Amino acid sequence: MEPSQGGAGDRELMARLAAGDREALAPLMEKHYRRLYRIALAYLRQPDDALDVVQEAFVRAFQSAPKWDGSAEAGPWLARITVNLSIDRWRRNRRRAQTFTPLTDSDHAASLADDGPAPDRRVEGREAGERVAAALRGLPERQRAVVVLRHYQDMSLEEIAQALGMSLGTVKSSLHRALARMRAGLAGARP
Amino acid sequence: MILAHLLVGAQHLLAAAKHLRLRRRVSRLAAGVLEGRERREALAHVEACGRCRAEHDALRAVVALMEADPLREAEPSVPLAFLVARVEREVERSLAPAGRPRWWLVALPAAAAILAAVALVPRLVGPLRPAPEAARAAIPPAEASPLVTEDALARIERNLAREHAVRYLNEAGEVLVTVAATGTDCDRAEARLDVGRAPERSRELLERRALAVGAGAGDEAVASARGVLDDVELTLREVADLPSCVKRSDVERVRRDVDERQLLMRIRLMTRELEG
Repeated sequence: MEPSQGGAGDRELMARLAAGDREALAPLMEKHYRRLYRIALAYLRQPDDALDVVQEAFVRAFQSAPKWDGSAEAGPWLARITVNLSIDRWRRNRRRAQTFTPLTDSDHAASLADDGPAPDRRVEGREAGERVAAALRGLPERQRAVVVLRHYQDMSLEEIAQALGMSLGTVKSSLHRALARMRAGLAGARP
Repeated sequence: MILAHLLVGAQHLLAAAKHLRLRRRVSRLAAGVLEGRERREALAHVEACGRCRAEHDALRAVVALMEADPLREAEPSVPLAFLVARVEREVERSLAPAGRPRWWLVALPAAAAILAAVALVPRLVGPLRPAPEAARAAIPPAEASPLVTEDALARIERNLAREHAVRYLNEAGEVLVTVAATGTDCDRAEARLDVGRAPERSRELLERRALAVGAGAGDEAVASARGVLDDVELTLREVADLPSCVKRSDVERVRRDVDERQLLMRIRLMTRELEG
């Protein structure tokens, strides 16, 4: 996970949101939107859907702020909202029979920073991304969430347990089962 | 002799059982969820067992694949300001039913009802109870006090101008966010994006601009908003000329324009100032 961005600052912002102060939204978003976007994007693999999820996550955060436990960290709480919304979005997309569309070149161009890796590494990365996307697609929803938080956000096992409301044991078993499943999926996908 | 064979057999069985037990830990080791003694044992086993090492390496390759995924460093395709504007708009909408009604939305119909009552009641009551001639003559028309003073009219005009300007700016902000934050393809092959009714709404807003600017007392009331209104108008004109399915480069141009002029932030600040 990205370095701690000031728990006290987050708490103060959350308290302001809970009091209905909309001015607190912008600084809270500034601190967390990039991280939440990456969680949603890693889960959904669709930049537009990921943006919608981030938007909805902050709206929910504003609406639920009065119920927020003041002693909890805002980061994992926001991650939990984002994961739940990503799962909802995934289900909705599946219902619409648009389960998965691989990212196109333009999507990648739009979603990668200009100062990113060199072109040859980008191609390598894109191939890796497409293979991973296919393997992630084969995972059950919660397992995929665990994998995303661990391998895309580098969150600790304890942080994942807190964010997803799972026991530490469930996080561990989800991770190694997911990995074995992804490995099998990738091996099966090889020509 | 038999005993020695039995011993060797038992050792093999024990070794096989240990192998099975440790092999189950390989995926846990590769997933990074083992600690302490369990981790050390699993590592030692992977070193010693060729099949388990291959299994471990294959699992680690999956992790490496995720670590090479460019999505780990992906940036949102829209600037933060747009996202903030979108969230604030949604929050505003979610609060709207419980929100405070605009005073003039309540006051104007109420005033109209009172005026209607003042006009109608004498007509209805008049034929039943005709007023004495003397009473009617007592108040000459020239001395009748006006219902609304000049000052009050000017105040109403100023308030209305502010309300129009706020509404205009809010709606313009929504249009600009719709265009700048769109990511919906309408023609993927041509890299075109859907901006929906934004061009049409821009044209409607431009037609309504005169109301937002106001006149007389209203003009003074929104004088401080003139700069924002002018910049918003320029950008709305760009949007008004677009089709509903636009080139990605056109969207980027509008986004850059909004960003450079800091329009969303200025709209937000100005509407707050006008709302007092």
